[in-house]
Amino acid sequence: MPASRRQFMFAAGGCAACLSGLARAHVLPTDLEPLVNANYQPTDPDERGIWQAMERIEESIQTSPQLLQAPALQAYTRQVVERLVGRPAPELRIYLMRDASFNAAMFPSGMMIVHTGLMARVRDESQYAAVLGHESGHYFRKHTIESYRSIRSRSAAMAFVAATASVAAGATAASGYSGAGTWIDAANLVSMAVVLSVFQFSRAQEAEADAYGVALMARAGYSPGAAAQIWKQLIDERKASAAQRNKHYRDRANSAFSTHPPSEDRMQDLADTAAYLVRNGAAATSDGRAEWQAVIAPYRAQLLEEQIKLNDPGASLYLVQNLAQDGWTGPLRYNEGEIYRLRGATGDDAKAAAAYAASTALPDAPPEAWRAHGYALLKTGNVADGHAALDRYLAMVPDAKDAGVVRFTLAQ
Amino acid sequence: MDRRVMPVATILLLLAGCTSTRQQSSAGFVPPAGTYKLIVMRPDIAVSLVTAGGQLEQREDWTLQARDNVLASLRSQQARRGGTTQIALTRAEAGSDDATIIELNQLHEVVGQSIMLHKFSPGSALPSKKGKFDWTLGALATQYGGQSGYDYALFLFARDSFSSSGRAALQAVGVLGCMVGFCYIPQGGIQQAFASLVDLKTGDVVWFNFLTSDLGDIRTTEGANTMVAQLLNPMGQDPKKKSKD
Repeated sequence: MPASRRQFMFAAGGCAACLSGLARAHVLPTDLEPLVNANYQPTDPDERGIWQAMERIEESIQTSPQLLQAPALQAYTRQVVERLVGRPAPELRIYLMRDASFNAAMFPSGMMIVHTGLMARVRDESQYAAVLGHESGHYFRKHTIESYRSIRSRSAAMAFVAATASVAAGATAASGYSGAGTWIDAANLVSMAVVLSVFQFSRAQEAEADAYGVALMARAGYSPGAAAQIWKQLIDERKASAAQRNKHYRDRANSAFSTHPPSEDRMQDLADTAAYLVRNGAAATSDGRAEWQAVIAPYRAQLLEEQIKLNDPGASLYLVQNLAQDGWTGPLRYNEGEIYRLRGATGDDAKAAAAYAASTALPDAPPEAWRAHGYALLKTGNVADGHAALDRYLAMVPDAKDAGVVRFTLAQ
Repeated sequence: MDRRVMPVATILLLLAGCTSTRQQSSAGFVPPAGTYKLIVMRPDIAVSLVTAGGQLEQREDWTLQARDNVLASLRSQQARRGGTTQIALTRAEAGSDDATIIELNQLHEVVGQSIMLHKFSPGSALPSKKGKFDWTLGALATQYGGQSGYDYALFLFARDSFSSSGRAALQAVGVLGCMVGFCYIPQGGIQQAFASLVDLKTGDVVWFNFLTSDLGDIRTTEGANTMVAQLLNPMGQDPKKKSKD
């Protein structure tokens, strides 16, 4: 079917954080050389075919309504990638996509996808560089084609096992022995071992991409420790999300079927690799926090809104509080209030009201914070201050879509 | 029937190559005639190798060859059907903005897959679509028709594939199984294609034909001619008649 081919192609994109996680394969970052250069064009027929099949996929991404229209952020992302690679990298085509999940993906033809969910979680440029470096690793180490060839040879082995078992099963059945099922089961077991080794292969690639990314970071003067930090944040966020839902945190990567290493192991490997590089003289010039905050500021409200709409209050609160380690801002406080308001547990009204009030006390409070603050005050019976806050909202955005409703409230 | 004989009979049937097309059309459909303007929307054609494990591995050289052949067949065969035909290979040639063209292509892909599932796959018929063929691309298509001046849009999708030597060996092992009464034949190369005609005045998919074949080779001029003819010739014939040759 055509659909399954396309799905395969999507699956073929290397994926940084498919929310799963590396066998403790310590790859020495200094041993990894890029396998492709700036002018690389595939020559093998299988790889050329994959590139050709990517054309329509890339075209649909270029025109997708999910594409984030953000030229400044786009240029910044390219600049970070090129600083990592150490040269202009026109062969890498970067697309920022509006998707609230923490993820990024690298396709074999040089198309890189970065999700807004990743940007929402990143605290500084070096953390952003950690994920971009990992993705670049998949490209420069040719992981997709390597993985495809491995799957191809392994699935051929599986098909032979299945076909041969059928012959044996048929022969057994024909001889009057009713044990055909057993043969099929045995074939399935053999196939299963082959399937598992395919996933193992992919985990080794993830480990390699991690090591490659960290090496690029060290060379470019980013703190190599940022890669482990971002994993720690992710694990803590998932724990917070699970606790909120009264669930035990389970590492989805920690299974034999996972294509990615278990997150905790991965974090440890990244930290070990970083320590190794620092011992060998890697020195960070800066973590690029101010640069990151400046470039992401215009999108912050949108990023937070996307996250909050996922209705995962545990994760959302963790995210807001984690970002607030660099100082509370008006938008952060407002969104903290929104998380409480949407969760609606006992006492959340008061927590939301306090967060809205805190937001309006900050110089960069968004207009919505004044509106929310106003309605919260009205609920407690404080009409004068409530009206004053709503007036402030209307003064900031006179043409707001809900201006009529707010004026109606004021006229009551 | 002896349990050993039946599968063998089945496999012999499978090995005898066949082509089948099945068409559907909306109530009162009349093929375009007289002076009409038809656009062929960026035909989607790919040719792959079937690896021993059964993956389809697209081959660039085969695909390019097949594209050239199918487009040449379309041009020459459409010329005999009247009207004017424009084949748009790129978005720019389709006569509208990029986003509209891509959206139209993608919408058609989804609708086309629904048609294939609910009209051509056994057991997947929708009760509400029984005896009806009323799929539409809606306002997007009529808007595009207005912008571009075309009366009809023809969407064409074709996939062809050929077994690698490893896959062929695997099929041979499978045939051995049939001899002892237990058949597992890995699928070899197969040709699948559909053509879909959209009336840009109404946005409706007015005619749809689905072809599946284990014969033919669209990498050759002759194979492409045959496929295009089998795909487009049934237009206007009795839709209830199932052609098989």
